[in-house]
Amino acid sequence: MIEVEALVKRYGSTTAVDGLTFTARPGTVTGFLGPDGAGKSTTMRMIVGLERPTAGTATVDGRRYAELDAPLHSVGVMLDARSVHPGRTAFRHLLAQARTHGIPRSRVDEVIAMTGLEPVAHRRAGTYSLGMGQRLGIAGALLGDPGTLILDEPVNGLDPDGVLWVRRLVRDLAAEGRTVLLSSHLMHELALCADRVVIIGRGRLLADAPVHEIVERSGGTLEEAYLQLTAGAVQYRGRATTSPTTTTAGDAR
Amino acid sequence: MTTRTPATRVSFAGVLAAEWTKLVGLRSTLWVALGTALAAASLAYGLSLFAGRGDGPTGVSLVVAGSVLAQTGALALGALVGAGEHSSGAATATFTAVPRRLPVLAAQAVVTGAGAGVTAAAALAASALATTDARTRAGLVLELADPETARMLAGFVLHLVGVALLGLGLGALLRRPGAVIVAGVILLVVVDQLLATNPGQVTDTLRAALPGAGARLLLDDAALAALDAASRGPRLGAWGGGLVLAGWAVGALAAGAGRLCRGDVTR
Amino acid sequence: MSAHAVAAPRAARPAAGRGAMTFRGVLAAEWTKVTSLRAPYWAAAATAVACGLLTYVSANASSVDPGFDPLDSLTSGVLLAQVGPLVLGVLVGTGEFATGTFRTTFATVPRRLPVLAAQVVVTAAFAVVAALLAVIAAVAGILPAASGRGIAVDLTADGTPQVLVGTALYLVGLALCGLAAGALLRRTVPALVGILVLVLVLPVGLSLATDGGTGPAAPAGAVPADPASTLVTFTPSGAASFLTAPPGGGGVAGAPDLGPWGAAAVLAAWALVPLVAAAVRLRRRDLV
Repeated sequence: MIEVEALVKRYGSTTAVDGLTFTARPGTVTGFLGPDGAGKSTTMRMIVGLERPTAGTATVDGRRYAELDAPLHSVGVMLDARSVHPGRTAFRHLLAQARTHGIPRSRVDEVIAMTGLEPVAHRRAGTYSLGMGQRLGIAGALLGDPGTLILDEPVNGLDPDGVLWVRRLVRDLAAEGRTVLLSSHLMHELALCADRVVIIGRGRLLADAPVHEIVERSGGTLEEAYLQLTAGAVQYRGRATTSPTTTTAGDAR
Repeated sequence: MTTRTPATRVSFAGVLAAEWTKLVGLRSTLWVALGTALAAASLAYGLSLFAGRGDGPTGVSLVVAGSVLAQTGALALGALVGAGEHSSGAATATFTAVPRRLPVLAAQAVVTGAGAGVTAAAALAASALATTDARTRAGLVLELADPETARMLAGFVLHLVGVALLGLGLGALLRRPGAVIVAGVILLVVVDQLLATNPGQVTDTLRAALPGAGARLLLDDAALAALDAASRGPRLGAWGGGLVLAGWAVGALAAGAGRLCRGDVTR
Repeated sequence: MSAHAVAAPRAARPAAGRGAMTFRGVLAAEWTKVTSLRAPYWAAAATAVACGLLTYVSANASSVDPGFDPLDSLTSGVLLAQVGPLVLGVLVGTGEFATGTFRTTFATVPRRLPVLAAQVVVTAAFAVVAALLAVIAAVAGILPAASGRGIAVDLTADGTPQVLVGTALYLVGLALCGLAAGALLRRTVPALVGILVLVLVLPVGLSLATDGGTGPAAPAGAVPADPASTLVTFTPSGAASFLTAPPGGGGVAGAPDLGPWGAAAVLAAWALVPLVAAAVRLRRRDLV
């Protein structure tokens, strides 16, 4: 269980996260959404203690992440695919992480097999494609067989087979009673695998409800509901290259 | 999930094993070690060719003659361990596994020290081999039982270990390997040369307080005496110089630890 | 770097007008890339500040000597100031590869070599500005000590113009040496280690051969030609002693007298040889 309470993060005069409160419960997949720059990654980094909150708390199973005796067994984290030294092989990277906790080498082989990395496990990570890097990130998150998983854009760059695999994986993990917090920009993907969504914009909570409830409220798809909810909180918006008469999704208020 | 993995927890021995796995799992480590040994041996060989005229060097002073180049390799090793973590993005994985952070730096200090020690020993062996001819020609013997010789050989290793730890501390502090290399070379070489152009009580005292004072560990007694006689600053002797370097390494590591513990791990 | 990312798609649109790729265009792009980063400005500022400050301190310290000539202190900051142009050059040379920008760059300029040529021009131009600032700072640095002793500073006499021009040229040459090392090795750490060892560390190591390990070589009258000193003379910083000293001065005891032109040629070779190697590597090999 992840509990985030009145979380604030400021960098100088910029406020990245502004009094955010939500809970991700065991046995559910919680989708974490918001426009670019909304504070999703910052929030996830604060939950796992990489960045210190300016105010508020973030706990996992009631304890601050840094106080956990065996963080890898409590929380599996995949923050971005490039969390590995480009000169190190996937096997070595995972082995080093495992050794901090005394996790046996056999478990490293196991997660490599689970994520389909066997053919490239002994190649340097700098040579990986985006999808392979993503699989390595997921392998690292699964290493400690944790009760809680935090996955930032896990399907980014994966092939269709990989997307399907991640969808099944997170459903299975939740079915086993684990907590899964998953961020994504792919609405149809989240509609398929999330039970609940937490939507934030400009560092603040915009919605926190079961997927079906949000969809019913808007009367359309999850994507339409998301666009309605975040319309006022989008910070970076592209424009059409041709005439301004075409209405793009972002303009529909 | 097929099997529940047995419950384990973070231990310092585990963190140490992890850092060792990371160090030896990088090709750059091997290249730095090889390059250091090769550079030291080449310089020792080159200097041994020119030696022999004038006041005669001792056998051991030829063997440790590559230290000026070798210290750059040790600095690079420390910089790669300390700053590479952050510049490559691997810090995210490292510090989610060990969120208390400080054990990682402590373990890095141990493995960097060990790596630098092994590299220094390799550099000494290579230098001894490279200078064999010159030493036999000049009739210089390498008497390991001689306390001065033993002190100089151990001093070579200790100096390199100290410089590597200084690099590690600066790496944890600055988080960019390039910045560490530039700062380290300025501290170890450039400032000393600048001060040497204006000898005086103030500049000599400052020179004695620079991390390069660690190189006194590997100077022979005659050179040390000459150095102390010429200096208007404090007379450090060999071990005093080593202590100055140790102070710099500890200071840099403390500053690095401060940033690591108080600051954010960002990309 | 942002110039490429933004300009490329616009250039593909007919409405924005079609332009053929020219060397001037590549040059403008490289200039935009260098000047849009912070590091080059830091390197240039550090060069000038180091030069001015050290010259000031050194001139003040020696102004108590009876035979004080402020012009003697003019180049006392170069030892530290030379780090600035080296770092500047290495960062321009490796920046593309270290950050991945090279994919955009060489997709835009598939012939590749114009990019390297443009980097040479841009680095030289940036370094000229930095070197001029450094020389001006050095001159400003000796003025307080000179006026304190009531000595008028005449920058036109006694080969001083050669010292000023030579110092500036040396700093520009170092930036190009750094660029060449960076372009050849493509990775910041190896390039920095290599160039700093060559320029700063190796001369110290070699000087140990001549004076038994007590510090930098002290010239003591006529010394017979000495191989170690000769090697020092052929490093960039060794050659520089002919550029940053008045005519007839400079050089290392026991080494051949290169003269300013010979020294400039040595410096140019240290930049050109690796640049040619970098060009060959750029042209022949894949970009990964």
